[in-house]
Amino acid sequence: MFDFDNLKINSIRLLLTLFIIFFTLILFGISPFEVFQSIIYGSLGSESKFIRTLIVWAPISLASLALIYTFSAGMWNIGIEGQIIMGAVGATFIARSFLGDYLISPYIQILFAVLFGGLWGLLSALLKVKGNVHEIFSGLGLDFVASGIVIFLIIGPWKRDGIASTGGTDLFHKASWIPTIGNHNFPLMLIVIILFLYLLSYVVLNFTSLGIRLKSTGINVLATERFYFKSDRYIVFSYLIAGSIAGIAGFSQASGAYHKLVPSISGGFGFLAILIVLISSRNIYFSFILSFLFSILIVGGSQLQIRLGLDNTIIGIIQATFVLSWLVLQRIKVENMILQKISRVFSK
Amino acid sequence: MKIQIKNLSKSFGNLKANKNINLSLDSGIHALLGENGAGKSTFVKIISGQLTPDSGEIIINGENINLGSAKDSIKNGIGLLNQDPLDFSNLSILESFLVGINEKKPFRKIENIKQKILGLFKNYGIEIELSSKTNSLSIGERQQIELIRLLYNGAKLIILDEPTSAFSLEQKKRVFETLKKLSNEGIIIIFVSHKLDEIFEICETGSILKSGELIENITKPFNSKKILSTMFENTEFHKSEQKYTERVNKFSIIISKSDLFNDYKSDLVHEYTFGSVIGIAGLQGSSNDKLIKNVFSNEFSKTRIIKQFGDPLKIENYYYMPADRLERGLFKDLNLLEHYALSISAKKTFLDWKIIKQTAIDKINKFNIKSNLNNSLSELSGGNQQRVMLSLMPDLESVLLLEQPTRGLDYNSANKIWEMILERKKQDIAILFSSTDMDEIWEYSDIIFSVSGNKIMDISYKNNLTKEKIIKFVSGLV
Repeated sequence: MFDFDNLKINSIRLLLTLFIIFFTLILFGISPFEVFQSIIYGSLGSESKFIRTLIVWAPISLASLALIYTFSAGMWNIGIEGQIIMGAVGATFIARSFLGDYLISPYIQILFAVLFGGLWGLLSALLKVKGNVHEIFSGLGLDFVASGIVIFLIIGPWKRDGIASTGGTDLFHKASWIPTIGNHNFPLMLIVIILFLYLLSYVVLNFTSLGIRLKSTGINVLATERFYFKSDRYIVFSYLIAGSIAGIAGFSQASGAYHKLVPSISGGFGFLAILIVLISSRNIYFSFILSFLFSILIVGGSQLQIRLGLDNTIIGIIQATFVLSWLVLQRIKVENMILQKISRVFSK
Repeated sequence: MKIQIKNLSKSFGNLKANKNINLSLDSGIHALLGENGAGKSTFVKIISGQLTPDSGEIIINGENINLGSAKDSIKNGIGLLNQDPLDFSNLSILESFLVGINEKKPFRKIENIKQKILGLFKNYGIEIELSSKTNSLSIGERQQIELIRLLYNGAKLIILDEPTSAFSLEQKKRVFETLKKLSNEGIIIIFVSHKLDEIFEICETGSILKSGELIENITKPFNSKKILSTMFENTEFHKSEQKYTERVNKFSIIISKSDLFNDYKSDLVHEYTFGSVIGIAGLQGSSNDKLIKNVFSNEFSKTRIIKQFGDPLKIENYYYMPADRLERGLFKDLNLLEHYALSISAKKTFLDWKIIKQTAIDKINKFNIKSNLNNSLSELSGGNQQRVMLSLMPDLESVLLLEQPTRGLDYNSANKIWEMILERKKQDIAILFSSTDMDEIWEYSDIIFSVSGNKIMDISYKNNLTKEKIIKFVSGLV
């Protein structure tokens, strides 16, 4: 079922997009080569940099995967940020409990992250299905509630001894950090989880009736009844799955990136993931790759200031140019034209 | 006014939609006949300026008009009335007139426009408040107003593209009266339809299109047999006269009292043999479709079907087919293969694409669907979509619930659909269908439920009825 044509088209589009970014950077009077070189060096140049990139990639890729489910069911899951945040709260809850000192802690944290994130997703779904509240409004609302809860916890019940600051909770006990191999910081457990979830989702979305029912729910809710299933149920499923996966992204942020709970724990990665899934048109391979590209941009971008004396807001410009030109190219379909030209040259 | 069309041709890729069409009209109501895909719509679109022909000319009163320019067509008095009214449903009638009329000046005297519209209304016997909202009117009334709008803009030639498919009998009568009146005043009308009875009723002349060519011009008195054989010549055309064996098992329909007309004394339980075809007759806007849907979803009343022996009916035993194919029936962005996956996988967790593909290929052949497995449903023609819906019928013994199974299809396609449906008489428990076409009801039903408004007026075997009686019942006369 691998769609090679789609891959070809996406690759060409990627090249064109990079081309546009090049020119945008030149307009700003910046050398694109230097920028890209330093981004790549900053994100992949050494083992520790690569690991940092992986730590950033983990929540983005998980959030993207989560969104593939809800987008399939036709739902704009803006609440993804809240689901990530609540996942982090679930993980922190375990890390701060008596379990936090034991090596089993990360595994229990995942369970709680899944539980918290899943329930937060379920809230949006129930509001949609039972209360007929549009998912964009409920999602946005629940995002605010979730970040409110985090701040309350940080300056309230979970505040550091003697200090009430929004800088975050105490660092977790080392046992509660995401396990790494030996002396390296390589987050093996996280990578295994991501690969497993991507593989599993590939199977679910392509080879199960759940997958095709989610997709049909997304296209026409009114026709599902005729095929003997209730679209409402599948909307709820999609949110439960998405919330659970987003919860793991929150766990990765709390126990992998910060080792504590901070107010902006989601890092805006949920919103970024929405862009990624939009760009990839819910394609699972491409979301995987794109989320990695975006994490390279984010990690490498933080090096720009040090190496080139550029403000790292330039990364924002690159990201935005990327998304906008991608969407425009998708609309005008030049890739098909180029692909036809190429195949004509090769067939001669 | 005189319109001459000379050597009009138009192709789309390899498909020749119109081939060297010549036609000359100066008065009267002219019918344009032909099966689905004969090129009627292309022809109409060229005349109204929505499409540019590859070659040919259109001459109005001795002057060539600019081809492919809708603006020029309107300026020359050509008006097109679409199948579905293209108006603004949440504006009032006056407001939609103000949007739609041909006025160049930026400032208008609304009072003058109003008087002019009212004058036209009076002239054609239309009694509708100008301030009423467009969406509060029936489709027939909206089409009448569209007609007036075309007149207001100075139309001298009006093209009606299958205008009556959504009309009730009463509405049809009114629109036809308006048309006759217009024709008497010298306005040329081109009437596109597949309904021969309507054409016989109001048209004086006509042309038959077939595969893009104008093959015959006809004049009153029309010979329906000859017209049909010309229209469908060379397309395989047969009506099955199969006899179906009587089956012994019986099922009951239990009718909720709330669905019955108050004065109608009928038993609430009706018993029929397996394989009966039950036609639910009603006019446009009556609840005949709702009755069909209700058997599946039980949302409107308690009317239901039960089997007398054996396992009780489960939801999977019902196959419901809504009238609006893409709105409620199918998934327009899913491809054909995925539709079969959806229907086969009802009880399974995992999909076996090999089996699905095999089933899909079998069904496509059996139901004569002209499409690839990878085509999404929105790319298929209406007739093919309808066949896809039929091909998704489960193989088990079912109750088929078909809302207007041949809506919008031409005579030949409709016959083929019916052949496929009647094939199921041997295996299914019951076949219920709704229709607003009394001929269709009469032709295929064993038992007829006549519905007027939202009440059942009569339930009888066909043998005890006449067509006239049904028409009386559905019109609400007892």
